[in-house]
Amino acid sequence: MSWAQAILLARGLSWGWGGICGAALTRAPFSQAPLWAPRGLHRSATACNSDSWLVPPSPEPPKGPPKAPAPHEELFTQALGGTRDKANFVRAVQNFGQHNVYKRGHVDFIYLALRKMREYGVERDLAVYNLLLDVFPKEVFRPRSIFQSMFIHYPRQQECGIAVLEQMESHGVMPNKETEFLLLQIFGRKSYPMLKFIRMKLWFSRFKNINPFPVPRDLPQDPVDLAKLGLRHMEPNLNATVTIYQMPSSKDSTGAADPTEPHIVGIQTPDQQAALAHHNPARPIFVEGPFSLWLRDKCVYYHILRADLLPPEEREVEEIPEEWNLYYPMQLDLDYGRSGWDDYEFDIQEVEEGPVFAICMAGAHDQATLAKWIQGLQETNPALAQIPVVFRLAGSTGELLGSSSGLEDPPPPPPEGQEEEEDNQQRQQQGQS
Amino acid sequence: MGAGVLFLRQALAARPCRALVAFATSRRLLRTSPPSRAFAKQLFLGKIEKKEVFPFPEVSQDELNEINQFVGPLEKFFTEEVDSERIDREGKIPNETLEKLKNLGLFGLQVPEEYGGLGLSNTMYARLGEIIGLDGSIAVTLAAHQAIGLKGIILAGNKEQKAKYLPRLASGEHIAAFCLTEATSGSDAASIKTRATLSEDKKHYILNGSKIWITNGGIANVFTVFAKTQVVDSDGSVKDKITAFIVERDFGGVTNGKPEDKLGIRGSNTCEVHFENTKVPIENVLGEVGGGFKVAMNILNSGRFSMGSLVAGMLKKLMEMTAAYACTRKQFNRNLSEYGLIQEKFALMAQKTYVMESMAYLTAGMLDQPGFPDCSIEAAMVKVFSSEGAWQCVSEALQVLGGSGYMRDYPYERLLRDSRILLIFEGTNEILRMYIALTGLQHAGRILTARINELKRGNVTTVIETVSQRLRDSLGRTVDLGLTGKLGAVHPSVADSANKLEENVYYFGRTVETLLLRFGKTIVEEQMVLKRVANILINLYGMTAVLSRASRSIRVGLRNHDHEVLLANIFCAEAYYQNLFTLSQLDKYSPENLDEQIKKVSQQVLEKQAYICAHPLDRTS
Repeated sequence: MSWAQAILLARGLSWGWGGICGAALTRAPFSQAPLWAPRGLHRSATACNSDSWLVPPSPEPPKGPPKAPAPHEELFTQALGGTRDKANFVRAVQNFGQHNVYKRGHVDFIYLALRKMREYGVERDLAVYNLLLDVFPKEVFRPRSIFQSMFIHYPRQQECGIAVLEQMESHGVMPNKETEFLLLQIFGRKSYPMLKFIRMKLWFSRFKNINPFPVPRDLPQDPVDLAKLGLRHMEPNLNATVTIYQMPSSKDSTGAADPTEPHIVGIQTPDQQAALAHHNPARPIFVEGPFSLWLRDKCVYYHILRADLLPPEEREVEEIPEEWNLYYPMQLDLDYGRSGWDDYEFDIQEVEEGPVFAICMAGAHDQATLAKWIQGLQETNPALAQIPVVFRLAGSTGELLGSSSGLEDPPPPPPEGQEEEEDNQQRQQQGQS
Repeated sequence: MGAGVLFLRQALAARPCRALVAFATSRRLLRTSPPSRAFAKQLFLGKIEKKEVFPFPEVSQDELNEINQFVGPLEKFFTEEVDSERIDREGKIPNETLEKLKNLGLFGLQVPEEYGGLGLSNTMYARLGEIIGLDGSIAVTLAAHQAIGLKGIILAGNKEQKAKYLPRLASGEHIAAFCLTEATSGSDAASIKTRATLSEDKKHYILNGSKIWITNGGIANVFTVFAKTQVVDSDGSVKDKITAFIVERDFGGVTNGKPEDKLGIRGSNTCEVHFENTKVPIENVLGEVGGGFKVAMNILNSGRFSMGSLVAGMLKKLMEMTAAYACTRKQFNRNLSEYGLIQEKFALMAQKTYVMESMAYLTAGMLDQPGFPDCSIEAAMVKVFSSEGAWQCVSEALQVLGGSGYMRDYPYERLLRDSRILLIFEGTNEILRMYIALTGLQHAGRILTARINELKRGNVTTVIETVSQRLRDSLGRTVDLGLTGKLGAVHPSVADSANKLEENVYYFGRTVETLLLRFGKTIVEEQMVLKRVANILINLYGMTAVLSRASRSIRVGLRNHDHEVLLANIFCAEAYYQNLFTLSQLDKYSPENLDEQIKKVSQQVLEKQAYICAHPLDRTS
């Protein structure tokens, strides 16, 4: 996903730049050293390991005893009485400020809160991030002299501020004016969180819309809607029609549809219809799949209806009929063509593939379900009735399927179906020959 | 008016008309020189075929008197009796108006005299067109009847067909319609679905299919229908080919839909026509079986030149009305006519009218020459120029009129609506531009083949010759194609303009050669290039026409010829600079050539089928 790549790239750049700026500020001979050295001194025993020092992934502090609660954990456990939602999270953060007038241990609290955000489902909420930043005492960490800003002033607090911004970045939350204002108040203009903020402002705006095929952030839960989205995502032609050949019979199941009546959703463009209508009925067409398609963190599977590439001797050369255009000549009767001077065709080695006639996504990947799809297609493609269809179904698409079993996707096709389907396929192919 | 009509009928029916035809034939006999090559095609080679266009074609005094005899009453009829507002409102030409049009003989203007028509020459037809053009609906109804509807019978019909159909069509007893367009087939003849199959007794064709947007479809009795038939080719294979048929409504199975509700020309009858198992006798095949494509092309090509005079007539009338308004309407104690921006619009209207009139009559004159010269490019140019001029001028006139131009109480908005169709029918202007450019390039390409092949092979002499010619051109040479000078074809008053034309023509020829060298036959795919080629050619033809006409006007001392000189010089100067710009756009590496960017933009828009820019108020944060 190029969006993710963009974020990685942005992060990498900001790292690199941080290093350079740090080096420039402290005139150290190597780039990363000035950032790392003070961090070692001020490192919180609870907060960091060397891999992900910004946001420790596990709620347990790595060096503490496994069950010992982190400081201020009680603020969140109190809130556990209610549901884990934004209001309770906000209350926990506000409680910290009320109970702790001197804001003792605020860095630890912020790290803790950052880890908790996902649980509470507020990891994409800009207001919550601003609230977290607001926990920092104001004006205290602002460098007051040029020397203070040269040597990192309150490095642990700055690191913590960067951690907040980093988590925003990884969730694609764009900081706003309020964030800027808070950072100014807390760390001042010449600080690393501020630098991070400015870089985020710069690169976020450049990378935000870099993906030409954006996937909505919240994917539809309904498998039919998800299938529609996936099909539209794969088919660039806007004139394609999505057809629901079969609705899942049981409405209550969220992910795994009823095995007897799984959903079948297909897409076909007018061009594909025309191509199918002109297909030579003597040549079989194939249903192939399942192939996987990732939409954010979900994996869906699709099947295609395709044919083999025509051998060159059978291809029809497109002729311009003699009496075609009533108004102007469609071709000139000249014996010279385009000069090399105006020939922009690059010499590209192209691997030609056979035509794809339709795509579908179904709740089950067995032949019976896909045969229903082909039946449904026949209504709009009468030519399909004459063309032999061969099912070439892979039992498993490999490791992707296995790894996705934990997600909400329909379970991968049972491995025992593989032999049967291959048998079917062989039978069909024998039938053809 | 009755007396007037009566007089006209007499005038048309009796002697003068016959005299006219007799004169026309005699004139044809007088000119015995072989038909020279068409003017426009030679322009592609950078040459001006002077004989074709200089001097401006004239009609004799007798002929002029004849035509003026019916121009007067006809004009009176159109200004006094035709209620264009009512026709537009009711969406129908009243029967009594139609009857009077028939009595005036307007349904058979170009039908030969032996079949009861007036047998007018193209020039005379153009002259009457100026008056018919005063009402869009009537003009379109008449044009659909005789410029395309019955034209097939005149051009391709045999004697029996002519004798059977033409008299009643010429008198207006029967109305004709031209049935080509189908829901799936506009200019694409291959996708015609209407089919005619030979019956078992081989005496009839059974016609089945539907045609859409047929002008006169609801009122016509005789249809020229194009349908696919099975034809056995010379090599024995069976092929689907188009055949033209004359179909009478009485053959049975002919039905039509309800009249379409249109933007303009609302009084003309446009509807679908369905043929269901219509039995057409085989003697009603127009031309040869399988030869319908050529028939259709000839009909379409022959009918176009008349739009120039039609539009000119309409614009002349519009200018009168608009000028009256501009000279009476006061703002800030001054008439509108005293303001520069208003004056500019009148100059534009006068100029456009002058040019399209000149082009139309020049083309008509060329068509009237003996030997059936092929002037289809010229006719297409007249159509493109006049339809676009009409739209532009009517729009400018509405601008002068301000709010009253927009109100339905005044006739102006109707003219705007009516003139919009001109850009679309009889071949859209885009398609005609392709026709103009490609036909010319085909001609030039054939002639330049040897030279271009030598250049491609790298023949040293040819290459050096070409390079040195280019060098000389780039150093600025004065082009002299012999228009000016002591015995030149044009009058010294417009000599400057003639020099501009010569320069344009010369460099156009060079550019055409370069284009052919660059693209060869694949130039068919370069539509943006072709459009520019066509635009230059239209300008060149317009310049030639006004130079020729203005020179004649000065020499024979017509009224207000100084005005003509002004108009000619203005147009030529404007067209000259336009051409220079367009020529530089045709240059591959010029900064004016934005083709690549334009293609990219349209590609991106069409891929998403939407305007893809973010909203100006959008933010990223």
